[in-house]
Parts: sequence; structure tokens; C-alpha cells
Amino acid sequence: MTYRPKKIVDALEYNRKWDEWARQGNWSPVGWRWVEGSKGHRLDQISSTNYLVIQRPHASVYHHSYGMISKFFKGLLEKKFYGTKCPKCGLTFCPPRAHCWNPGCRIQETEWVELPLRGEVFTFSPMAFSATPFLKTLPFIIAYIRVEGCCTTVPTRLIKINPWEVYPGLKVNIHFTDRTKGDIMDLYCTPAETPDPSKCMMTPEGIERLKNDMRKVRDWVVKKFGSEAKPSIDI
Amino acid sequence: MSNRVAIVGAGISRFDNPRFELHEELCAEAVQEMLADNPNIEYPKDIDAVMYSYFSDHLAGQLCFHWIIHDYLGLLPKPAYRVESGGATPVDALINAFMYIKSGIFKNVLIVGWEKMSELNTPKVNEMIAAASDTDWDFPVGGYYTGYYAVLETRHMHLYGETEEDLAKIAVKNHNNATFNPYAQWRSQHGTTFITIDDVFKSRIISWPYRALNCAMISDGGACMLLASEETANKFTDSPVWITGIGLGTDTMRPGDRVDNPMYKGLYPEDEALYPDVSTKPASPYPEMANFGSMRTSGDMAYKMAGIDNPVKQLDFAELFNPYDGVELVEYEDLRFCKLGEGKKIVREGITEWGGELPCQLSGAHTAAGHPVGATSIAQATQIYWQLTEQTANKWKTNARALSGAQRAMLQGHGGTGCQSGVIIFERG
Ligand SMILES: [Zn+2]
Repeated sequence: MTYRPKKIVDALEYNRKWDEWARQGNWSPVGWRWVEGSKGHRLDQISSTNYLVIQRPHASVYHHSYGMISKFFKGLLEKKFYGTKCPKCGLTFCPPRAHCWNPGCRIQETEWVELPLRGEVFTFSPMAFSATPFLKTLPFIIAYIRVEGCCTTVPTRLIKINPWEVYPGLKVNIHFTDRTKGDIMDLYCTPAETPDPSKCMMTPEGIERLKNDMRKVRDWVVKKFGSEAKPSIDI
Repeated sequence: MSNRVAIVGAGISRFDNPRFELHEELCAEAVQEMLADNPNIEYPKDIDAVMYSYFSDHLAGQLCFHWIIHDYLGLLPKPAYRVESGGATPVDALINAFMYIKSGIFKNVLIVGWEKMSELNTPKVNEMIAAASDTDWDFPVGGYYTGYYAVLETRHMHLYGETEEDLAKIAVKNHNNATFNPYAQWRSQHGTTFITIDDVFKSRIISWPYRALNCAMISDGGACMLLASEETANKFTDSPVWITGIGLGTDTMRPGDRVDNPMYKGLYPEDEALYPDVSTKPASPYPEMANFGSMRTSGDMAYKMAGIDNPVKQLDFAELFNPYDGVELVEYEDLRFCKLGEGKKIVREGITEWGGELPCQLSGAHTAAGHPVGATSIAQATQIYWQLTEQTANKWKTNARALSGAQRAMLQGHGGTGCQSGVIIFERG
């Protein structure tokens, strides 16, 4: 048993197919290839030889506790937005910290506060590639949002805006997804104001280049994932 | 400085993708080169301890890999230690070996570093490396290292105004340097033709403003280096290269926590005064999210130890940690090659090009020589060693990027999004 608690107060129990999934990849070869590859030290010393390559999967299900900042993530499930505030120095954190990092506060424990669903883009990037779990939603914009009153920024997805229209300082509204699941993806942002074209970070040629790039990425995702593709930027 | 520490030997196993040899065989290749180049090393008798450098247990599906390497290299029962700090792993291994020797407990310490990243496909490699970011916050939104560095670079562009073209110029410089390097992955995969700014703009977008040619390669490879005390160095070589300065520094794990970090408040008042008025001035204006405080701290510590107050004049060349081209530009500022915000001037004036006042990345470095994480900075240190001992022309079979008479060089390495940085200053004897 993992993480045996005193009592389960409330739960959305996971489908046990995931335990079966984790047992599937059991470090045993599922295939092999006898390949020709190069051998040798520097590029002026190369010859050819054969190698055996096996395919060996493994997988895990982590039972992860959010510890003392569990209230933030439980809050997401309930569509409430919390941060923490240090009673000594007044710094407000989102992402929350259970203890203050301010050098004068000697690891003071913080207190929970409810935060406004407003902030501004501190920085951002239109993503055209990613790690395995997120490929289907390419292309998308990640923006680091400074929530009103906070001294740190939160990574979120920014939607309903073209990537070349985004700039640091753009005011945004923070929303909850319809079906919250208990991680930071339960939040997303939309612009709270009409973007100011004079603050655009790209040249006209740069914008054209990016438009073409984004189209290519969208087409690639649609081709690769078919009906499962959910591009967040559509141009 | 008494009890000095010297490089007395080094080797690289060619960076490529894939290298089908086992991890331990790649390490053996590098050690073999070092032993062939320096017959004065009585192996394994002269090795007192070993510092092992590799980043990810996930990429190989193997923990404690150094135990496999250690016996493979015939080094039992000598003391051995594994270092891991993301991309800073190899520079940390070198610094740790330096401190082992400075402690007086060991005279000669071997550093062996490697990584094989080709066993997983590219999105999966991104996923495994993203496991070195905060997996509760930055990763779940679709974050990965190119993305993190892209948002940092966007912020720097916003404050200080460098362009996509400036970044492309850095890519061109480094790729073209690598076309001469016979240990480089770019040359293995793409040959010896120079690239242009247009080639960079035509390469696949990864995370704006970064395109494929602005990004570190996914690589297999290894490298090794033997450091020796002043007492034993003469036994190995007449031309030791001395370590005259080391430095270390840190910053937040989550890049988004740097916007107003109270721990940096007031540390660099001259930079705080330069904060531009395009944005509301935070309580801690430097390093903010645009610059790398860990690199400033580590650079300053190493410069002080080595007696450097004007790096552009006092260094002959440098190998920097450049997983993405904006990082190199920002490093120019954080390592004091110029004032805050003037990194773009260094690029436009060609100061770090071949023939410039302070050439950087003559090896090609991460985006062009390759980036097998645990080996990268050790291989860069090896290239520095070859330059300072004037072996480069012989090792590369060309003098196209071989310096003559260079006295002093810098290695900078870091991990995460600049979460941890290390700097080493090297000087020929
Ligand atoms: Zn406090």
C-alpha cells in the first residue's frame, strides 16, 4: 500500500487500469534490432560495426502528496484561488509557500489568503514543441502570470489571443477549467484588455514567420493525432 | 597560491546521436585518449580518487551508473563519488575534484563524465529533462526546458531589446566553429558547410524565440580529465594548466519565482540602477527573470580568486554554457563582459567571434558540438586545455580555430534554468 492515511476524508478514486498500465512496462524487451552503426573515436577515425538494440518499456504511478500547500490544489478542485502571506513581512506568494523565504523572517510559517482572479503577463512563449504529454495540444502559449499583489509568478496557458499580440504587462483574467482535476492546469488565462499593437515584440517579418510556423505545427499535430489533436492556437 | 591544482591530462569521446556503444565504453574511449596522449600517467596506480559526472538516471533507466563505469575502468577499490546537479553536473564534478585536491587528502583526481540521451525519443527526452524542473508547477502546463529558457529570453528581449537576429548570429558563430571540431555532433550529422542567419530562421520553431538551430543538441558522449596537485603535476607534464579561480552560485528552482526575489535585493546596486523604464521596477530589479544571478555570483567569486577585474581584456577565450542562444547573450552581461543590457552590443560587434577580442565557444558548444549533459563541461574544459597547451591544431587536424599563445580562459557551466552555476578560470603554467 502506498501512502496509507489515517482516514480517507474525500476522494476521486483513480481507475485501477493505471496500476495495470504500470505493470505492463515491466523492463522486459518487447522487440529488438540488429543495426549497423559507426565505431571509432574522432570523425577522422570512423569505421562500421553492428549493435543489438532492444526496446524495453517501464512505467509508474506516483502517489504524490501536495503536503502543506494541499489547500491550494484542493482549492482548485473547488474553484477557489488561494495564496499564502507571511504574517511577519507581508509578502504574498502564488505559487504558495508554507514557509517564508524572506531572509529576515527565519522560515516563518505563512497564512492562507484568497487571491483575485486577475494578474498580468510577466513573460511568455508560444510553444511549438514540448514533452510527450503535451504534444496533442500544440501549439500553445505559456505565460508566467504575476497575480495581483503577489511577489512570484504562476505558469499558465494563455488563450484567446494571437501569439504575436502578447507582451509583458498585458492584463489577464484567470479562469478555472470546467472539470478541475487538482493540478495547475485547472487554471488558464485570457486577455483582460485589448492588446496594444505598439507593444508587439515582433517585427512584421517576424510575425509572418511565426504565423507560418504555427500553421505548420498545427498541421503536424492534426496529422499525427487526428481527432485527438487539440491545438490551442489556430491561425 | 600554494597547493595549486593543475590539469595534466584529458580526453573526449566523440559526441554524436546515436552512439551505440555502452556508456562505460564511451568513458573508456575518453580515458584511452588521455592515456595515449600522456604516457607519464601510470594507470591506474596514479589515480587516487574519481569524481563521476552524469545527470539523469531516467535517460538510461539505471541508477548508480558510476559503479558500472568504475569497475569497467579497472579502478577498484579506489574512492569514487557521483555528482549530480543538472547541467551543472560536469562543472561541479571538476570543482569538487579541485576541492578534493585542495583538501590535501588526495593528490590526483580523475573526473569522468558521460550521458547517453538517444535511448528515448525527443519528446520523451524533453519529458525526462523537464523532471529537473518543478513537476508540481512548471512541467504540468506543458513546460520543458526550451520553453522555460524561451520565457526567460522573452523577458530579456522585452527589457533590453535584443532581436531574433542577434540570437541567430550566435547560432551561426557556434555552428561554424563546430564544423572544424572532429568531436562535434553537428559536423558528424551535417558536414563542414557554414550556416547563415537565413538557415537559422528556416530551422523548425521550437519555442519562440528559439528555433532548432538555437537549441542544444540531444547527444551521446563522454569526457575525462585528470587534475593533480602542485606536488605531483610535474611528474605528468611539463605544460600543466592551472586552475586559478573557482566560483559557485544559485538561484530559484522555479524561474517564475525570480521576479522579485528578496534574497537578491540590494546585492548588485549598479545593475539595479540600470533597470529600464519599459517595466515597473520591482523591489529586486536584478537578476529579475531576465538575467542569471547564479552566474553573476559564481563569476564574481572566480574572478576575485584569479585576480580578474576586466574579463574581456584579461581572458583570452571562454567556453560558456549555452543550451539556448539567448543564454550566451545574457551570460555576457552576468559574467561582466559588458554592462547589463549590452549583451546585444557584444554580439553585434563580433567580440566573441573567432578573431574577436574574447572568442567564445570555439568548440561549438551545446548547440553544435553537442550536449551529453554529464560530459559537456568536461569536454569544454578539455578543449580549453588543448588550446592553452597548443594541442588543438594537432587534435583537430586543422589550425582554423587553434589559438596561439593564449594564457588564460574561463569555463562556465550551469544547471536548471540557471538554478546553479559554476565557473573555473584556467591559466597555462
Ligand atoms: Zn516573511
